[in-house]
Amino acid sequence: MIVLRQLATLIAKDLRLEWRRRARLLVVLVFACTTLLLFSFALGRETELLVKASGGLLVLALLLSSTLGLAESFRVEHEDRALEGLFLLPVDPVAVFYAKTITNTLFLIVLGPILVPVALALYSVHIEPGKLGDFALIWALTASGLAAPGTLYSGMTSRMRGQDVLLPLLLFPLAGPLLIASVRSLTLLITGDAMDELGAWRGLLIAFDVIYWSIGGVLYPFVCEEGT
Amino acid sequence: MKPLTWQHGLGVLGFVLLVIGSVMGLTMAPPERHMGDVSRIAYIHVPTAWSMLLASTFAFGWALASLWTGKERFDDLLAGSVEATVVLAVLMLPSGMIWARPTWGVWWDWDVRLTSSLLGLLLFAGILGLRAFVDEPRKRATWTAVATIVAYVDIPLIYFGVRWWRSIHQVQSSPETVSGGMILPWRINAFAVLFITLWFIAMRSRIEGGKRQIEQAGEPQRIVEAIA
Amino acid sequence: MSSPSEPSPPDQPIIAIRDLGRRFGRSWALAHVDLEVARGELVLLAGANGSGKTTLLRTIAGLIHRTRGELRVFGRDPNRARAHCRSRLCLVTHHGYLYENLTALEMLELWNRLSPAPRPRSELMPLLERMGLAERARNEVRGFSAGMRKRLTLLRAELERPELLLLDEPFSALDPDGQRFLEQWIRASRAEGRTFVIASHALMRATNLGGSSVLLERGQIAWRGPSSQLLARFSGTAS
Repeated sequence: MIVLRQLATLIAKDLRLEWRRRARLLVVLVFACTTLLLFSFALGRETELLVKASGGLLVLALLLSSTLGLAESFRVEHEDRALEGLFLLPVDPVAVFYAKTITNTLFLIVLGPILVPVALALYSVHIEPGKLGDFALIWALTASGLAAPGTLYSGMTSRMRGQDVLLPLLLFPLAGPLLIASVRSLTLLITGDAMDELGAWRGLLIAFDVIYWSIGGVLYPFVCEEGT
Repeated sequence: MKPLTWQHGLGVLGFVLLVIGSVMGLTMAPPERHMGDVSRIAYIHVPTAWSMLLASTFAFGWALASLWTGKERFDDLLAGSVEATVVLAVLMLPSGMIWARPTWGVWWDWDVRLTSSLLGLLLFAGILGLRAFVDEPRKRATWTAVATIVAYVDIPLIYFGVRWWRSIHQVQSSPETVSGGMILPWRINAFAVLFITLWFIAMRSRIEGGKRQIEQAGEPQRIVEAIA
Repeated sequence: MSSPSEPSPPDQPIIAIRDLGRRFGRSWALAHVDLEVARGELVLLAGANGSGKTTLLRTIAGLIHRTRGELRVFGRDPNRARAHCRSRLCLVTHHGYLYENLTALEMLELWNRLSPAPRPRSELMPLLERMGLAERARNEVRGFSAGMRKRLTLLRAELERPELLLLDEPFSALDPDGQRFLEQWIRASRAEGRTFVIASHALMRATNLGGSSVLLERGQIAWRGPSSQLLARFSGTAS
């Protein structure tokens, strides 16, 4: 199918561009690590408190980094109006949406292998090796849950004045349930899951992802073009 | 424009009912078993919560209609409904806080309804913020509709997320239930707030429509073309 | 009505516009525009900045929704039948539609793979050679001069083999050599039967191409006639 071919081509294009502009990945990483450090200043040196809060702080760092990454992902499309050129070929907007969302998800996931060890070190946290798989899964689900509505919104706001404030304004409240579920899950993995709640939270994460990946693809074609 | 007779009638009826219901609730109904007179706030708090949910549902409906048909009328109604949702959420919060303070000594008790409403308030207020940044009417209508659909779908997720999270933290209960002899004032107020909400939506959408008509200039005269 | 895979019937105009209007808030960028463009024609859009040339081109391409009036491109409404119209036309503006971090060859490959009917990869390098870009094929676009970008953008038009070409200020940012090159390219494409609508300030060069002209004033057509007479109308103000 044409759409699938276009999707594969666009993913390859986005990944190639990400690689060529990999300096910005470094910038976002440094930003994220800085936030982790600042959180520990805010909370103080009490180890027990830091351990309990570590899951939440990791998710917050990911959220703040996501706004930087998401905003950038469309900047490259509008420098020379390259995206408009693609729509004129014509390229199916649904393919554009999913290619961008997949690439943005990968971008956020890749922050994990650096951020998590930094947080573990700063907050004196220990995770049992057996739980690392679950940890990675929760991280991936959170990343993809942020990427779907984030891609939709950054696609909408990327050429507007006030984009810097609009994207967080729209995304942060929306991500509320995602963040609650993600923070609870990571905290349970770190501090222990006495009542076996992890399954329920993971379910909420999956529900969030499925819902927003679906409606994102349906709604993006309505907002992808300027109309001016 | 046609005069808004039945809408004004609805508004007047709503205010009258509100006075009746509130007086009954505040003076005539028996005090609640556990919490005493303070629980009377439920006569305002709970109907406001219901109407807020209804207003957001109307918004969702108009958003779908606006996206599907492109008719400007639906955008006006959508704008009115989103505003109504925000106003009701703003009204809900103080009433919840007024209940919490004398009962538990704190202004905020992470009640499910309150916390969900705060997130909902931020979510829908963000839609109004987005509207403020888009000048072109057609684009503004499409983007408002898309943002509303995305926001509405989040509401059940917010509710479940906050409820599960709250049950873990074993926080105090809230004016959820109302016993036997108090049903009548509650029902009266529920209709009262609903009627006032509908009146508000009708008024606001009228103003939006009026603004739109003023913004749009009439077409210029056709000039006489010179042919070579 | 022609199906998506067939070319439109030869007798039908490629572009049919009737009483077209486009409003932006309080002002009308286009109003009462009537225009028909037949297959193989070249139409020049002339007019001052802000007269509506770009808006008209973008509306024909389906990027802008008209406020009122009728518009048919290849027999269909370009806002509804996007794939049908866009696969047959190519819009060239001063934006190159380029990704700065991709090489010229990669840009070409990207456009090729995304188009409805991709060509075999072996045909891409010869295309680059024809445009004089073969030596820079593996260089990133961000190092390219304005002239080279323009040639790369024209390559896109070559690649897609569109029936209709919409050019917005194609001669701008080109040195005299580049302008000559472009003129030759347009003539060669016309000889192959392509239809052109060109918006340009460079009246001397543009009217050289022949065809008919339309003068826009504040969004409306003030004059139309053969391009050869356009300069006469403008004696003293041509660029």
